[in-house]
This record gives sequence, C-alpha cells and structure tokens, in this order.
Amino acid sequence: MDEFVCVRLVQANALDLTLFQFDYDLTFAVFFINADRTIYGRYGTRSERKDATKDISIESFREALAAALDLHKHYPANKRALAGKQPRPTKFKTPHDFPSLAGKYKPTLDYEGKVVQSCMHCHQMRDAERRFFRDDKKPIPDEVLYPYPMPNAAGLSLDPKEKAKVRKVVPGSAAQKAGFRMGDEILALAGQPIISIADVQWVLNNASEPATLNTQVLRGRKKINVALNLDKDWRRHSDIAWRTTTWDLRRMAAGGLVLEDSTAEERRDAELPDAALALRVKYVGEYGEHAVAKKAGFKKDDILLSVDRQTSHLTESELFRYLLQNKMPGEKISVTVLRGSERINLELPMQ
Amino acid sequence: MNKLAAIFFGSLLLAPAKLSAAEDRRERVLNDRKEVEAAGHWIYNDLPRGFAEAARTGQPLLIVVRCVP
Repeated sequence: MDEFVCVRLVQANALDLTLFQFDYDLTFAVFFINADRTIYGRYGTRSERKDATKDISIESFREALAAALDLHKHYPANKRALAGKQPRPTKFKTPHDFPSLAGKYKPTLDYEGKVVQSCMHCHQMRDAERRFFRDDKKPIPDEVLYPYPMPNAAGLSLDPKEKAKVRKVVPGSAAQKAGFRMGDEILALAGQPIISIADVQWVLNNASEPATLNTQVLRGRKKINVALNLDKDWRRHSDIAWRTTTWDLRRMAAGGLVLEDSTAEERRDAELPDAALALRVKYVGEYGEHAVAKKAGFKKDDILLSVDRQTSHLTESELFRYLLQNKMPGEKISVTVLRGSERINLELPMQ
Repeated sequence: MNKLAAIFFGSLLLAPAKLSAAEDRRERVLNDRKEVEAAGHWIYNDLPRGFAEAARTGQPLLIVVRCVP
C-alpha cells in the first residue's frame, strides 16, 4: 500500500465521468491509475443486495494491488495493451449533465450543514441515465438495463479470492462451448490485461451483442487462447434484482411492486406449471410513484399470471426488460392476478 | 498483511463497523472523514492533490470511491 498514493472519494457530486466509469451500484470501487490518468485496472464487484463482501476478498485485493504495481512498473511500454481499459466517450461528463440531476447538488459536501442531504450517491447516476431514456419515451437499451454484467452471464463463475480464476463453468453456457475449464486463470480478455473480476466486468460492459472475446488463460503452466462467443441476448442472463437502481425500475415498470418467482410449493398449490408466469407480489410500495400499483388494486401475495398477454415464465428482471423496452410511460398494461383462488383483472400504469 | 487488511477493510467497512445503531447517517459521514484523515494514509476527497502527489512521487494512484451514508 505504501507504493500507492491513496485517495478516498466519498461523494459523486462532482465526479469526473470521463475518468470514473464503473458499476454505479457499488458502494466500494477502486481504481488503479497513473498520474497521467491512464487506468491500470479496477477492483470491486457485487452481486448481492445484503452482502457487499461476497464477491471480494483481501486475497484478491492484494493480488490486484500487486498486478497494478507490475503494470505501473512496465508503463509506458505497455500503454497499447492498456488502451481497452481506458474510459469510453460519454455524453454525460459530470453527474450534473444528466437532466434529472442538473442543479440538484453542489460540487462539494456541506459538512457544516445538512451533509447527508448534500451527498449525491453513485447509484443516482444510473437512475438518471435510465430516466433519460424513459422520460424521452425511448426503450432502455440492454447495456443500460444490464450494466457491468457478472461473468456468470457468460457461464463463468470466478473465485472471489483470486484475480480472475474460473471456479465453475456452467454446462451448456457460452463459456463451456468456448472450452473454459475450472481452474483456468484469465490473463487477458479482449486484449486487456486482467487484474480482477471488476476488469472482466469492464470488458463485458463494453462488449457488443453479439461479441467474440479473445481470451488468454493460464491452464496449469500453459497459456491457451480461447474465443468466447456471446450471442445477441447474452446480457439478459444477468440478474439485476439485487441492484439498488432496480428500485427505480420497479417504479417505472411495476408501479412500486417487488416481485419474486413463486416457489415450487406455491405453484403446486395453485396448479401452475413451471413454464407459466407466476410472479408473486412480495412487496407493494406505499408512497408517491411507488404506490401506483397499490392504487391500481394490487395486493401483497397476488400472483401475476398474465402481463400484457405474456403468460410464459419470466423472472422479475426479464419482465422489467420486456416492459421497459416495449411499453412507455402513460400506457396501461392489462394484468391478471391470482388472489387466493380468484383470478382478477387489473390495469398497471407504466411510468 | 495486517496493514493491508486494516486499510482494505477499513476503506470498505470502517464507517459501518465502528458505529452503533444509534448513530445516524450524519455522524457516519462526519466520522468517516475524521477517522480516515486521522489514520494518515489517505488523501480525503481531494483528487487534484492526489494526482499532484502521484506526479511528484512517480507512484500510481489507488483511488477508492466509497458510498458512506
């Protein structure tokens, strides 16, 4: 640690988004950067709402530190290899460039006054980005709905105690078809040296749909090249239910409902096949725009059987994608719910 | 390793871990600044100073973006 200049930023208020591009749902993100603003790598991964430390560890952080120092040692000779790790051009150069955030926060925290209220949270930028599309009545694209996909979206489970080591390959997945094996260490992805799972997510975040990602892995003592082919819908394998920013998607697409798949027992009791839509209302929003579903008549434990004539099995994330890409604010969607033994038809307003 | 662990987990968990349930979000933010600055290893909320220091020393930057409250 003594070999780094350590900086702690605790506000997004004036964050330079031409430099700091990362998963804004994180509450802990690390950048390793040269004084000339060249990024060596990123650290910080999360896929759980409650457990912020499930996907990170002191061991992998230490490895990332060492790898970043090694990249620094070989800089600028390695500048070309680092090109893909650099920030992408962005329409929004600061948080204040988002229309829904413009003028709402001062550049610095008000430590002498209402310091908490003066703090813009990183997740508000993702909310604002989605709102930008929604308010303009445009479909929210996949890359905005599914930011910084976990490697699981490609069928790779990586060990949180290692830089980027394959712990499991999902049968039938893109990773298995590419030939990945348990124990493979990802050295480079799309030409970029990989020092963390966050680096893998950076590559995935910027990958096209479909995409072929050339990968170099260390298998035993051999370096092997693997081509990871991702299909056009690969991002949609991501589960976004854990994200703080999904709260606002629930407002837009579900009037404040929190939905979860019915259990096998609930399906059996209601005589609903596994292939059928059966999303149970886990929570009904109480206030403001999150109370729209409540006002429309939805109740906790209702089971959604049909949404806009969609009756096939969908997760909450999949349903939101359908609605946010096909239904615009102001529209009303017909929904059939199962309440006890009764089937009830309701209308769900889109926001 | 101990120092690394302290800084890593400190940067990640310092504020929540050291606070009782009674302390509110305001105290959390104020304590974070006070405790991290007291630890002496971090440049707090001052990115230009960090870049200047990195340019002066030739060291790379480690920048933690942390949501405290």
